[in-house]
Amino acid sequence: MTNSINEVEDADLFFVTGTNTTAQHPLIGSRMINAVERGAKLILVDPREIQLAKFAHLHLRQNIGTDVAVLNGIMNIIIEEDLYDRDFVENRTEGFQELKAVVSRYSPNVVEQISGIRSKDLIEAARMFAAADKAMILYAMGITQHVTGTDNVKSCANLAMLTGNIGRPSTGVNPLRGQNNVQGACDMGALPVVYTGYQKVVDAAIKDKFEDAWGIEGLDDKPGLTITSMMSEAQKGSLKALYIMGENPMMSDPDSTHIELALSNLDLLIVQDIFLSETASLADIVLPAASFAEKSGTYTNTERRVQLSHKAVDPPGQARADWEIVQDICRLCGYPMNYKSPADILDEINRVTPSYAGITLERIEKEFGLQWPCPNQEHPGTAYLHKDQFTKGLGTFLPCEFKPLAEVPDQEYDFILTTGRVYFQYHTGTMTRRISLLEREAPEAVVEINPEDAKRLGIKTNDRVELSSRRGTIRLKAEVTDRVPKKVVFSTFHYIESPVNLLTNPAHDPVAGIPEYKGCAVRIRRCA
Amino acid sequence: MKILDKKHLITVIKNWAERYRVISPVRTSHNETIFDIFDENTFTLDYTKPSMPPKSLYLPQSETIFTVENGEYTPVTSRIKSLLFGIRACDMTAILQSKSFMNGEVADLFYNSHSDNTITVVMACAGPQNDTCFCTTTKSGPYAKKGYDLQFYDVGESFLVAIGSETGTELSNIEGFSDIDDADALNKIQSFQKEAEQSIERIPEFTPAMDRLSNGGIRDEFWERFGNKCIVCGGCTFVCPTCTCFNVADRPTAPGKGDRLRTWDACLYGGFTKEASGHNPRSSQGIRLKRRHEHKLLYYTDRDTHGGLCTCVGCGRCSDYCPVHIGTIEVVKAIAGE
Repeated sequence: MTNSINEVEDADLFFVTGTNTTAQHPLIGSRMINAVERGAKLILVDPREIQLAKFAHLHLRQNIGTDVAVLNGIMNIIIEEDLYDRDFVENRTEGFQELKAVVSRYSPNVVEQISGIRSKDLIEAARMFAAADKAMILYAMGITQHVTGTDNVKSCANLAMLTGNIGRPSTGVNPLRGQNNVQGACDMGALPVVYTGYQKVVDAAIKDKFEDAWGIEGLDDKPGLTITSMMSEAQKGSLKALYIMGENPMMSDPDSTHIELALSNLDLLIVQDIFLSETASLADIVLPAASFAEKSGTYTNTERRVQLSHKAVDPPGQARADWEIVQDICRLCGYPMNYKSPADILDEINRVTPSYAGITLERIEKEFGLQWPCPNQEHPGTAYLHKDQFTKGLGTFLPCEFKPLAEVPDQEYDFILTTGRVYFQYHTGTMTRRISLLEREAPEAVVEINPEDAKRLGIKTNDRVELSSRRGTIRLKAEVTDRVPKKVVFSTFHYIESPVNLLTNPAHDPVAGIPEYKGCAVRIRRCA
Repeated sequence: MKILDKKHLITVIKNWAERYRVISPVRTSHNETIFDIFDENTFTLDYTKPSMPPKSLYLPQSETIFTVENGEYTPVTSRIKSLLFGIRACDMTAILQSKSFMNGEVADLFYNSHSDNTITVVMACAGPQNDTCFCTTTKSGPYAKKGYDLQFYDVGESFLVAIGSETGTELSNIEGFSDIDDADALNKIQSFQKEAEQSIERIPEFTPAMDRLSNGGIRDEFWERFGNKCIVCGGCTFVCPTCTCFNVADRPTAPGKGDRLRTWDACLYGGFTKEASGHNPRSSQGIRLKRRHEHKLLYYTDRDTHGGLCTCVGCGRCSDYCPVHIGTIEVVKAIAGE
């Protein structure tokens, strides 16, 4: 998030797209509800009628995968009607003419044809957004999990810059991160192109710095593979070994059949996890890891806040903290890694990561964490980014053209399947499916289908249905509901009994490598 | 009645701690006050309303109630003797109410094994502990009328101590306590009680709201408005001193062996009332909220209230913690405004 969670309470307008916030970030969702009850406006752009729809002043139900067109359309109206923030655009940005040239092709009528959103509603949304003093854009996987994920994010950023909604409290471009430490994992360089704090592996000076810090030579200066490319390379046989920690790609990656082939084609698969997940079951070596309560360390949450976590109980059996396992493996491989505690590791992070330099153990022990960037011991941390200038100076508009879903429905596969999560289960269910109360609440996969479609296909709520894509078939229970629009079905990927990612499309964003979980072509039948 | 000089308090509690597990207010390293095992170094009298009621002493968040081995069930009951020092009157009333509730048609063996082994020392409130306290409305505070073993009144340099049971007599029969039974002490307590009662604001909408509810004057649409914003965290039930619903689950530990556990549950979860067919008689979040509030404000017997107005004891914690403001105070005011 460019901004902070508590700032949500004070926004004048929310532009919420691709996040089922009350279900997946309920404490952020509840702040939105409180703000709306206080008088803030809510524009919801989401194909599904999620809980927040009940509070939305405008709910735009776009055709799946048309986000760039919708955002361009809104920007076009704002520019056409001269509602944009001239001051901000002139002083803080560059590339406005390029943006204008692209978005001018997205008139309300054109956008209506692409997205299905009535031009009247689009115009109202644009005016409402432009009129707000403090507008917050919030999004999650509905924006990113597309082949155009990067374009979708750029377009959100364009809208924020065009209206001067960045660099102030209760504004900004706010991706809601899905896990307690996914922000921290990225910050620590668990990405193929960067070291900690997004320092690029291709930068020779950065390479030198890390070689010095670690007392080694010859760090690779070429970007590595994304997860999606690792799986393709494994299937081809050019990737020989994988060491997977705390991830369950057999359930969470698209086109599971391909994932299983890829993993079984490896010479060596090591999985480090707290439970024997579907992926760990395929491993040559399983390394049992300690859970959050069994180890100490820090987590970095969605608002860039680094928080301390203390060990409460001992790990069971042979399980150990991840850092201890990794350290031992490094030692066995001949590198003398010698951390004594997570504090030692944080100390190194402080030394090699400019944005974390001031986030020391001493300080986070005393306070409720610290938000990066925090470049020195005296720095109070940063509640919102890009205050007086962008990291690179001027913010560059990066206009994008609309591109359709990688797989659009046809006669054979005539529905779009979009996937997500339910409130009571978490991700691939490795943890939550072991909790009896959560299982009682959400015991099995359900596919949501619109009443009109259901009637035509003779499907009733609780019927068993068969859902197929070009990649596979699963069976699950139907729920007939207006929550989904016509010709769209929605389901979740929590359940091994009905593994939805057997169906999803591995086509992915060319930059980020994120797969298009939010839209693939399927057909649905009532089970005989 | 007894009197205890404050400077003897630690010695007295240490004496009790030789016989009981004493749970008392303590200050954490993050400068919060919570109720935890007594520790001389962190013990504090500078505390307000603890964020959690003492419910988990009686009904742990999760506990094994049976072990099973080769088809043989063995009940697991607690024998730990605890002393709760410094609880508030609202929570004392809640303990009495829950005890009755858990001993309705069938006595709850496990609850009673905790409850029979727990001694209560109430710290009467001199005023509201924060702005959501409304025990004077629900007639469940600011001092306990019964149920306690001892009740402390803070009168400055010392505590005046009322004795509520034989155990209380024993507890106060140790060094540090002195007898005091003069009219002056009684007057002091009475004026403490009067001042405390006057300092806690009443909620005038409360009784009218109960009447509206019992007359059936509230339509389901009213509850759906709250249901629309409820995020189903269940937090209101977990912080509620009189919510005692639980779920039962089995956990295999080895072949032929296992534990039967019970864990806190919440009527606000859909699965709480879902039937095997998938049908749910409480089909929406609004209806579930309705049921919860009716249970607090309508469905109770005199046997269950122990002098309180209803089975809400006015602690205000649901209003303190609900992220979307669906606490009893907000609901009652909304009902009255309908």
